[in-house]
Amino acid sequence: MSALSMSGALNRALADALEADDRVLVFGEDVGPLGGVFRITDGLAARFGDRRVFDTPLAESGIVGTAIGMAMNGMRPVVEMQFDAFAYPAFEQITSHLAKMRNRTRGKVEVPVVIRIPYGGGIGGVEHHCDSSEAYYTHTSGLRVVTPGTPQDAYDLLRDAIDSPDPVIFLEPKRRYWSKGEVTPGADRVGFDRAVVRRPGRDVTLIAYGPMVATALETAEAATEEGWDVEVVDLRSLSPFDDETVCASVRRTGRAVVVHEASGFGGYGAEVVARVTERCFHHLHAPVLRVTGFDIPYPPPKLEEHHLPGVDRILDAIGRLQWDDEVVGAGRGA
Amino acid sequence: MGTLSDEDVELLVGIRHFELALLRVFGEGKVNGTTHTCLGQEYVPVALAPLLDGDFVLSNHRGHGHYLAQFRDPAGLLAEITGRAGAVCSGVGGSQHVHRDGFLSTGVQGQSLPLAVGMGLHYKRTGANRVAAAYIGDGTWGEGAVYEALNMASLWRVPVLVVVEHNGIAQSTPTTRQLAGTIGDRVRAFGVDFTEITTHDIPAIRSELAPVVDRVRHEHRPAVVQFTTRRLGPHSKGDDTRTAEEVEALRAADWHAELAAALGARFHAIDERVRTEVDRVVAEVQARPPSQWADLVEAGVVR
Ligand SMILES: Cc1ncc(C[n+]2csc(CCOP(=O)(O)OP(=O)(O)O)c2C)c(N)n1
Ligand SMILES: [Mg+2]
Repeated sequence: MSALSMSGALNRALADALEADDRVLVFGEDVGPLGGVFRITDGLAARFGDRRVFDTPLAESGIVGTAIGMAMNGMRPVVEMQFDAFAYPAFEQITSHLAKMRNRTRGKVEVPVVIRIPYGGGIGGVEHHCDSSEAYYTHTSGLRVVTPGTPQDAYDLLRDAIDSPDPVIFLEPKRRYWSKGEVTPGADRVGFDRAVVRRPGRDVTLIAYGPMVATALETAEAATEEGWDVEVVDLRSLSPFDDETVCASVRRTGRAVVVHEASGFGGYGAEVVARVTERCFHHLHAPVLRVTGFDIPYPPPKLEEHHLPGVDRILDAIGRLQWDDEVVGAGRGA
Repeated sequence: MGTLSDEDVELLVGIRHFELALLRVFGEGKVNGTTHTCLGQEYVPVALAPLLDGDFVLSNHRGHGHYLAQFRDPAGLLAEITGRAGAVCSGVGGSQHVHRDGFLSTGVQGQSLPLAVGMGLHYKRTGANRVAAAYIGDGTWGEGAVYEALNMASLWRVPVLVVVEHNGIAQSTPTTRQLAGTIGDRVRAFGVDFTEITTHDIPAIRSELAPVVDRVRHEHRPAVVQFTTRRLGPHSKGDDTRTAEEVEALRAADWHAELAAALGARFHAIDERVRTEVDRVVAEVQARPPSQWADLVEAGVVR
């Protein structure tokens, strides 16, 4: 066990996977000698050689298509998209080939490709460097979509992703790359499809993932001052969705707030709210609320702290969960 | 070098000083996000500016020189990059996403070329005698959108000029490791005119390119012009993977020293004046309040 940053944990996971399995390949723009923009592939080309870790041209569609072609022949490519919005040129390959191949071949052809995408804001970047693009992928059947909230999960989920026979969109919360935590590489893994309760609490369930896990935990601490005992659920796997863990928590607490950086309208949180409401309706004391980015293109750096959900906005939402037994739908807007 | 007007020299050294100042401001933590300087490539947009007067310029991530050559507005651009009042786009776009009449930049590689085709097609249909000029780097020739655009531009005879700043590298990847064949061969395969410029002699570049741009404008023959150029700085900040010797060799071939030697006292007088002016702009812009959406309201862009 050692303290690693999330970027260090990802680097370690890639190195261990390359070491463990000759079929694992790492490629993408500037992932070789440079080690990637965020240095996640640092040192890998030197250690494993440029047959296994290599630079590509600027060609996202080509990169993903190439990965699919290799994966169909038994290899396990892990490709990097430099930033969230630079993955969009590859969208056709992802949605029409990567996601559909197994179904199209009636299960005969597996496509174990992992697409690593640094996503989300909080680093003072602009537009296409800060997109929360998860809903584009979760809406596409046939893809697994996962996102770690801690360094240990960064390691575990990436190893799970590479081991998985399915295509995986691996979303890396770039603002948490430098957050440190204890990482035990060979530890028992939670399970690829599972959400986890990061902090138990009795009064309300905060449902978060990726970059918002740390924010949710911070909020839970702050909430104790208001007398609220907050449970934090880290989804980890956005698709498939772990109904069991999430609903068990909400049935216990009777209240839930979903938090994400992405805009609310048509966002991933809408799906979470719907599922929780459908499954836990009779346990709920209040409507399930969302705290999200605003419905705007990602704002300029000086405004991002207002756009991104923070402790205050989440506490405010918790405060609106009808604590004095008001009747749901009695005219007070959620 | 042939003869250059004082204005040309001012613009050239103005872009150089702007970029150097920007790196300083960046170092002080006043630039959010990232920024890419055009150090070493300044002469490309300076040479093209009089040929593209009134045309539409589509720029990329390395676009400060492109903007300054079209508009000579260092204060507006610096305000944009640092989020200060008077920013070209109220600070919404930053270094890589500047929009102004006749100008648009995007940081997504290759995606501007299809836009250029659409603009050019419209200019042609409306008899506007206008050119849509798009700057891209050598690495961007990996992107598929480039070829979709070239095909349409040639097929429909669209007044599009693609300016390639071939600096031999894409971020950390040398051209030899990301590009098969040559850009010229690719371009000619589409039946598009290709011109290669290897000098930084601005008057010579202008006389060679004036007829090329004329053909684009009046005969609607799309063209690609490739400048063999040098990126003297890091890709963005502190991410240069090249050896010190490599960068030194590029510096030795830079236009700056050559021009200083050729123009002597005239150069130094202009250089000093422009440097002082850029310093003044930097101080003045940094003292401004943060930019606000209200700027857009005042400008009548947003109600
Ligand atoms: C679609 C897309 N993919 C990746 C990037 C990240 N990126 C920014 S600049 C760059 C290299 C561009 O190289 P080149 O076209 O040669 O231009 P130069 O930086 O040398 O001026 C890359 C990979 C991007 N901006 N857009
Ligand atoms: Mg280049």
